[in-house]
Amino acid sequence: MEYINIFIKASFVENMVLSFFLGMCSFLAISKKVKTAVGLGAAVVFVLTMTVPINWLISNYLLSENGIFHTDLTFLKLIIYIAVIAAMVQLVEMVVERFSPALYSALGIFLPLITVNCSILGGALFMDSREYELGEAAVFGFGSGFGFFLAIVAIAAIREKLRYSNIPAPLRGLGIAFIITGLMGLAFMSFIGIKL
Amino acid sequence: MDRNSNIYTIIYAAILTVVVAVVLAFVHSSLEPKMEANEKLAKQKDILRSVGLVDLPDASAVYEKTISSFVIDASGKVVDGMDGEAVNVAAEFKKPAEDQVHPVFVYTADDGSKRLILPLYGNGLWDKIWGYIALEEDMNTIAGIAMDHKGETPGLGAEIKDNPKQYNDPFIGKTILDEQGNYVSVKMVKGGIKEPEHQIDAISGATITSDGVNEMLYRGLGYYLPYFNAAKSQTSLK
Amino acid sequence: MSETQVAQKSTTLFGKKERRLLTDPFNDNNPITVQVLGICSALAVTVAVKNALVMAVAVTLVTGFSNLIISLLRNTIPNRVRMIVQLVVIASLVSIVEMVLHAFQYDVYKQMSVYIGLIITNCILMGRLEAFAMANKPWQSLLDGIGNGVGYGAILIAVAFFRELFGKGSVFGFRVLPDWYVPNGLMLIPAAAIFLIGIIIWIQRSRNTKLVDIS
Repeated sequence: MEYINIFIKASFVENMVLSFFLGMCSFLAISKKVKTAVGLGAAVVFVLTMTVPINWLISNYLLSENGIFHTDLTFLKLIIYIAVIAAMVQLVEMVVERFSPALYSALGIFLPLITVNCSILGGALFMDSREYELGEAAVFGFGSGFGFFLAIVAIAAIREKLRYSNIPAPLRGLGIAFIITGLMGLAFMSFIGIKL
Repeated sequence: MDRNSNIYTIIYAAILTVVVAVVLAFVHSSLEPKMEANEKLAKQKDILRSVGLVDLPDASAVYEKTISSFVIDASGKVVDGMDGEAVNVAAEFKKPAEDQVHPVFVYTADDGSKRLILPLYGNGLWDKIWGYIALEEDMNTIAGIAMDHKGETPGLGAEIKDNPKQYNDPFIGKTILDEQGNYVSVKMVKGGIKEPEHQIDAISGATITSDGVNEMLYRGLGYYLPYFNAAKSQTSLK
Repeated sequence: MSETQVAQKSTTLFGKKERRLLTDPFNDNNPITVQVLGICSALAVTVAVKNALVMAVAVTLVTGFSNLIISLLRNTIPNRVRMIVQLVVIASLVSIVEMVLHAFQYDVYKQMSVYIGLIITNCILMGRLEAFAMANKPWQSLLDGIGNGVGYGAILIAVAFFRELFGKGSVFGFRVLPDWYVPNGLMLIPAAAIFLIGIIIWIQRSRNTKLVDIS
């Protein structure tokens, strides 16, 4: 019950992209075609699901006062999180390349980009500030990734159609993408009232 | 030197790590007292807010002068040698009920009258909510309440704090016990108040759900019932 | 690493090229409306002008100093760990900013919570480090960083100004609109920030037609 709640919250109610603007850079840059959007979305789901629980373990067993060093090392939090994310992305890249060349060629170019996708670090920091348990953190990671996937695939589909629309010239491209994102954000707000 | 050799890379990474760690540790240790003072002051302000003392220029001094604290265990007995400020309410919330301890803050006004300030903590619709509730000396009438919740979009969700009149003032004067002395807590209800002593009209569209607040109040005040009963039978407030 | 033409010709401290480094990010090369960098973390802080101002200052400091540091180190950084070195420098600067805010601006620190940490992944930082600091001299890099930080902050503050003005009827927390104005809650929800940026882009591109997206 609690897990479903967290999943729904992470993917719909507090969608990383549409209500916190996290991961907007790649969201806008790589959403011109559905196919590439699916690739990036899948990579984000994967990395978020891995890094949030790992960062949870690090924050609780290495950095906290009750951890193995018995000192409060939270001032190193940001550096460690980003290092873990960079390392994980690298690791995922190698593993995928080794075991599934097909998936690698599909995701390949997006994987390195994910390190600086704000939603990944955002996932780790939200996990921290919301004081989740390990299981909750894992569900939260997956849910946020899923939310990102949904949002980027949806906007890519819309933008594919938009190319045939008659939009005022100065608004074409980036401008209209922003406005569409805003409208999607409004639509996602309707999830706020949901009660499980 | 070859910038792509393994040795160079490893040495470079090691030096960088050490330099960064030393710099951060230095900044952290030099700012730590200031950061902790801020945390403490914020908590003190929250506690004072529940007895209606807001926007004090010298909150810390007022707090030291008027507030004292002690800690009770799950059976309502006072735990010796513990300071109320040392209790982490959020951490206690996760423990099994019989292991929890609960802080009690006592506010002494200039005229000598006292109020009990109790922490509250619970789940809102999507986020944690918390606050402090102040009771009159009869341990029944609510003297004030200050609630807050976490909203990750900065600036939003500040309503509970910014509009105390709308959110918090209606609680004042309500009672948590019925005429027979049974515990009923106070509730926010939508439309049609049947028991004005214990019910408050829920604001439509409030950022926190009334259900969450009701649950938090019922459970939070419930922790202190054993202590109230014991204290009342001794007639005087500790 | 080859120096780009920007750095080669200038000899004076504030020549024409250096001025362009500072002013370009305001219009022709604005990080948000043209380069589309850094929308990620910071838009959520635009509910109030004060938060946006603190965020703008924080980002400007971090872009300026990270550009400076990376530019100083640019000839020593091992190629294979380039990204990590950049990230570590950025993350340390952000940690310092976070601790300073925690110590001296506690209210703002509490309100902005995770968004301070998210400056790390603000794409402007990595973008400028890769595109500029890795190939240019320290002084030019510092200016480029500050220019981009300020150009970015300008948009943040503009968005925050309109959101706070119409959403709460106030600026910097002071009520400025007359009492008959009923604050419009729509401006406070996240989507409003996105709409505003879309409109800013629209205005900018209709005045500066060379930026129009032809595709």
